[in-house]
Amino acid sequence: MSGDAVIVCKGVGKRYGRKWIVRDIDLEVRAGELLGLIGPGGHGKSVLLRLLAGLATPDEGEVRVRGKNLADIDPFELAELRREYGYLFQNYALFDFMSVADNVAFPLRQAGGVEEPEIARRVKERLEQLGLGEALDRFPSELSGGMKKRVGMARATIGEPAIVLYDDPSAGLDPVTSSKIFRLVRTMHHSQDDVASVVVSHDIDRMKVICDRYVMIFEGKVLFDGPEEAIEGADPMVGKFFFGSLGQSSGAS
Amino acid sequence: MNGALKSLASSVGGAVLAIAETIGGAVTLLFRILRALFPPRYDAEGVWRSFYNVGVKSYPIVVMTALFVGAIMVIQTAFYVKKTGATGIIGYGVGFSVFAEIGPILIGLMFSGRVGANNTAELGTMVVTEQVDALRALAIDPLPYLVVPRFLAMLGMLTLLMVLGDLFAIVGAALTAQLLVGFHWRVLVADLLQSRLLDEFTMGLVKAACFGISISCISCYFGLAVRGGATGVGRAVNNSVVSNATAIFVIDFVVGYLYSL
Amino acid sequence: MNASTTNFFEAIGAPVVDIARAWGSMFGCGLRTLRAIAMARIAWREVIHQSYLIGNRSVPFITVTLGFLGMISVYQVAMQIKQIIPDFTMLGPAFIQIMIREFAPTITGLMIATRVGSGIAAEIGSMTVTEQVDALRMCNADPIVYLIVPRAIACMVMVLMLSIYAVLVSTISGMLMANGAFDINMRTFLSLQLTNGDDIVIGAVKALAYGFSIPIIAGNAGLTTSGGSEGVGWATTRAVVSTSFAVVVLDFLISAAGYIFT
Ligand SMILES: Nc1ncnc2c1ncn2[C@@H]1O[C@H](COP(=O)(O)OP(=O)(O)OP(=O)(O)O)[C@@H](O)[C@H]1O
Ligand SMILES: [Mg+2]
Repeated sequence: MSGDAVIVCKGVGKRYGRKWIVRDIDLEVRAGELLGLIGPGGHGKSVLLRLLAGLATPDEGEVRVRGKNLADIDPFELAELRREYGYLFQNYALFDFMSVADNVAFPLRQAGGVEEPEIARRVKERLEQLGLGEALDRFPSELSGGMKKRVGMARATIGEPAIVLYDDPSAGLDPVTSSKIFRLVRTMHHSQDDVASVVVSHDIDRMKVICDRYVMIFEGKVLFDGPEEAIEGADPMVGKFFFGSLGQSSGAS
Repeated sequence: MNGALKSLASSVGGAVLAIAETIGGAVTLLFRILRALFPPRYDAEGVWRSFYNVGVKSYPIVVMTALFVGAIMVIQTAFYVKKTGATGIIGYGVGFSVFAEIGPILIGLMFSGRVGANNTAELGTMVVTEQVDALRALAIDPLPYLVVPRFLAMLGMLTLLMVLGDLFAIVGAALTAQLLVGFHWRVLVADLLQSRLLDEFTMGLVKAACFGISISCISCYFGLAVRGGATGVGRAVNNSVVSNATAIFVIDFVVGYLYSL
Repeated sequence: MNASTTNFFEAIGAPVVDIARAWGSMFGCGLRTLRAIAMARIAWREVIHQSYLIGNRSVPFITVTLGFLGMISVYQVAMQIKQIIPDFTMLGPAFIQIMIREFAPTITGLMIATRVGSGIAAEIGSMTVTEQVDALRMCNADPIVYLIVPRAIACMVMVLMLSIYAVLVSTISGMLMANGAFDINMRTFLSLQLTNGDDIVIGAVKALAYGFSIPIIAGNAGLTTSGGSEGVGWATTRAVVSTSFAVVVLDFLISAAGYIFT
């Protein structure tokens, strides 16, 4: 089911000031694999995701994407790699000076090579799929939190990226929309061969339906790495976190 | 056409109203501060803390600016000397322009940028994080605690820093005269001291005191009037520095004019 | 080495390292902006939009500040002249010359540093803390090219234009003061007799240098904002001081160069 390693972290550590936020992280994200990143709030998931995208530079260890160390590749190679990425930010990070349609179209326009009518068609299609057909010409400041999240989702996936990082895709969404979002994550994952996806979420019930493997981050370290079946044999904390939230989804600590 | 005229009229009207509101707000605040001063009704310890904060924050930039102001005015005067050969005016020209006009304006602008902007951001953050409301809820009037100490500190510190600034401007002028213009620094300083610029010097101090009053009132007014979260704070800082700069030039004019009557 | 000496050296060293790092990032930002301009990676529509934003509200601001500056300068200098030799023929020409060479660009630069510098820092700073800048990066839109280059070009053009306007405003207000209070003929006042090409070149170079450095410094303060929405307030205040001080330092450097080379 999973192929070559797309992203490899070796001994990665990141600190702010004197405090190490994450440390000694060894992690692989493989092609064709949908990886679930779980863990209590504030324990470093978002920081790790930023490291995987090269938005933050590790203070220790290295992050390699397709064999290249993100910390010392030249800007053109980085740009080449970034073209493969899709990133959903935890707090949306929508461009507040652009309309919803322009936000979603931005990655396509930036990448070039797609005609304007085709862009418009794809943007409209993606937004309609997410129930935002009406919101095309509105501005981010006029949207609710959940709507912003969905616009962010559309922007992250519009370029059909091969490496997609989702930071809490269902936060602040009602159950029906959450399910829709997770279905979109899966659809995106299978839309091409060998897509590598990482989903950070507290919504473990819905993750179980789609994820192939889980990594649990606890106090900045990898506490667990493996499929659901392996949890029983692992640290009891993992089981508690994983199964304890059964029936009470989104258990942010 | 009619619509354009109307929108122009309404935007001019809006601007006038906004200016009137700022002036009104700052002046009202000034009166409330003065009422709190006579008889004294403020947090005395807070005054010392404010003096310390304001001084520590602003003296490096004031000293640096003053050095450069002296240097710049020497160069400007030297241009004339080069053209006319009248070396006698260097000391007088530098002293006059630095003490009376350029020194106060530039140091006032820097002080407004450093202390005034900082003060607006500080009070604004306190407002949006509801700390000011918390004071009010404890039946504590924020004025004697937050505003009066800052007022006294800015008034006192800026006047003191003006003296320091004049001193460092002379240092900057002497250095530049010696190193760049090829004019002996002792001659410059001696000329400057003999130029009987006491009036200009005191006028600079009066200007500084007035700037201190206006910067404290305006920056506190905008800080306490912040609405609308973090972007509100950014906007308030922007409005505060713009109003302060405008006030500095207007006050500079009024004091300069009154002083020569 | 015991703990207290380490602490001592850290306390001394940390600000030095911080300052060095801040200068490094500022110059890096300036160089990358220049490179992007040289490679012609410029969004002209955004440049026009930014020029409008910079110019629009700055005109009344410059009018008031330089109007008052023109009046009081003429007033005070004329009072001095009156005491020595009541010959006002050189007042206007000298005033116009020093306005062009020194005060019009520099005071305009300071006003733009105050108004536009703080605005740029607040705007880009809030984009940074809301991760919009990271989102730009993920889409391969270099924040320098996308955010700073248009502002740098717009600001250079606008500071130059506003400096010319500032010369006009201060000259007119100074002339009215000279005429009203000292009965100086307007024709006598309005003379370019002392102004030559050098003065105009020095004034223009100053305006362009201020215009370029203000968005770089303010934009860099915005891009290096940290610490959430509170950080934006601090970045804004930092930008006001750094940009204003940069104007003063550039004024010194360009004046000195002008003095040496003319
Ligand atoms: N830019 C930063 N500067 C300083 N500290 C930071 C920064 N970013 C994150 N942190 C700290 O790193 C820690 C981990 O944060 P992170 O956002 O990764 O948590 P998280 O696991 O994503 O939590 P949540 O589930 O709530 O999103 C927190 O303690 C946070 O305060
Ligand atoms: Mg997070």
